[in-house]
Amino acid sequence: MLLLLDILTTAAILFIVSIGLLAIFGVLKIINFAHGAWLTVGAYCAVVTAKLGLNPWLALPLAFVVGAVLGGLAEHFIIRPLYRRPLDAILATWGLGIVVGQLITLAFGRDVQLTPNLFAGTVAFGGVEYSAYRLVALGIALVIGTLFALTIERTRLGLSARAVIMNETLARSLGIDTGRVRLVVFMVGAGLAALAGVLLTPLTSVDPNMGVSWLIGAFMLVMVADASFLALAAACLVFGAAQVLISTFVSPILGSIAVAVLAALVLRVSPKGFSRA
Amino acid sequence: MPEAARRSEPVGAALALDDVSSGYGAISIVKGVTLSVGQGEIVALLGKNGMGKTTLLKTVLGMVALRGGGITIGGQALSGLSPAKLVALGVGYAPQEQPLFQDLSIRDNLRLAVPSDRMLPGALERLFGHFPFLKERLGQRAGTLSGGEQKMLILGRALMLRPRLLLIDEISEGIQPSMVERLRKVLLAERDAGLSMLVVEQHVAFALGLADRYAVLKLGEIVDSGSAKASDARERVIDHLAV
Repeated sequence: MLLLLDILTTAAILFIVSIGLLAIFGVLKIINFAHGAWLTVGAYCAVVTAKLGLNPWLALPLAFVVGAVLGGLAEHFIIRPLYRRPLDAILATWGLGIVVGQLITLAFGRDVQLTPNLFAGTVAFGGVEYSAYRLVALGIALVIGTLFALTIERTRLGLSARAVIMNETLARSLGIDTGRVRLVVFMVGAGLAALAGVLLTPLTSVDPNMGVSWLIGAFMLVMVADASFLALAAACLVFGAAQVLISTFVSPILGSIAVAVLAALVLRVSPKGFSRA
Repeated sequence: MPEAARRSEPVGAALALDDVSSGYGAISIVKGVTLSVGQGEIVALLGKNGMGKTTLLKTVLGMVALRGGGITIGGQALSGLSPAKLVALGVGYAPQEQPLFQDLSIRDNLRLAVPSDRMLPGALERLFGHFPFLKERLGQRAGTLSGGEQKMLILGRALMLRPRLLLIDEISEGIQPSMVERLRKVLLAERDAGLSMLVVEQHVAFALGLADRYAVLKLGEIVDSGSAKASDARERVIDHLAV
């Protein structure tokens, strides 16, 4: 049971971390290497909330708004002119991530920051004592996934985003403001990344470079998912399971690179990754 | 509207192209095209593949950059207007290349063509007036329709918002004659209701049977134009299209 919960909650955390990157990759067709920076910004929203003595859960909406606003500014001033130059866009987002990290260092220093646990202690679940926060994270991942799916399937924004993913030229010719769709999706993606940053604070140390280590895993998962929401969920579950099993039965060090290595292998065999299914 | 009455009306330009040039990268495709479409008039633009017909339509839509000349719709200059603004101005488009979201339902394909879901019921009623078979098949994936049915969906989608000007790209391509005839009747009914159209075609009989005037595009330039009802129109067009 413990192993099963570890697998499910690890998959949930991977999903939370990757979903914003997937949204941006799907619609904008660029890999946003500033994703790690948005995660870090979100984590520092939790730091600020704690320093101000506010309810730590307030960091979630704060991070989403801050991430979305910063993401909107980045899309407008940096990414938009580079849509036709995807390689330059990757370099620009990588550079942006470095700048954001340095600005955070300037404001908060290099030291690891402490944040209050969003949900402390353990609860009895399925006959075992398990981290209450990891179970909450699992619930939050389900909520985020459901809201994301409903937005994509049931709203006009979601329909427009799918249209842009499938055929942007046709979408434009029908009068869809594809520039606005890209902007909104980038804002949502950055907001979700910042939200993920807050949710990571009880699980990892908060420092200006914390996002980098999560970026690689999220990147590989999105490559395997190939812009498919369901494929991302499947990839998180499979690779999360592999990470937990390898960490438990082989070596935690090998477990930490399991996602990247397995994703590379999957892409070698099937370039469209899990989305083919 | 009876043809004689229509012809006696002064023809204001629903669309006017004045010495229009456009292209992709370093390549010029459309070279100095001057062409107009009057109110309630159908103009057929004929030409072989690769002559610039689709590029010309895309230039009007703002999807290919205008390099020279000017375009006006109902007297309003189009320079710098996005396709979204053009749709709001009453310009409809029935594209030839990848014209549907194949994996979306028919309903979602139609939803994407209206600015808000509130407008959808009225737009659908208008669509069903032309193509009632779509009413029972809104949940069906667009890619599962037959070729002719897809053309009807493309045309119906373009007509849903009551455009003032419709740009149509090879709507008759690859479909059986009965379907072509059905499309022709819908287009003539819309023309008689006052809709102006620029119809890109390679199907000479269909184009000349539909249009009031024609123009032939060759290597990006208009090489012939005239009344589609002239006795020598077919012969002249075929001469230009011959290899």
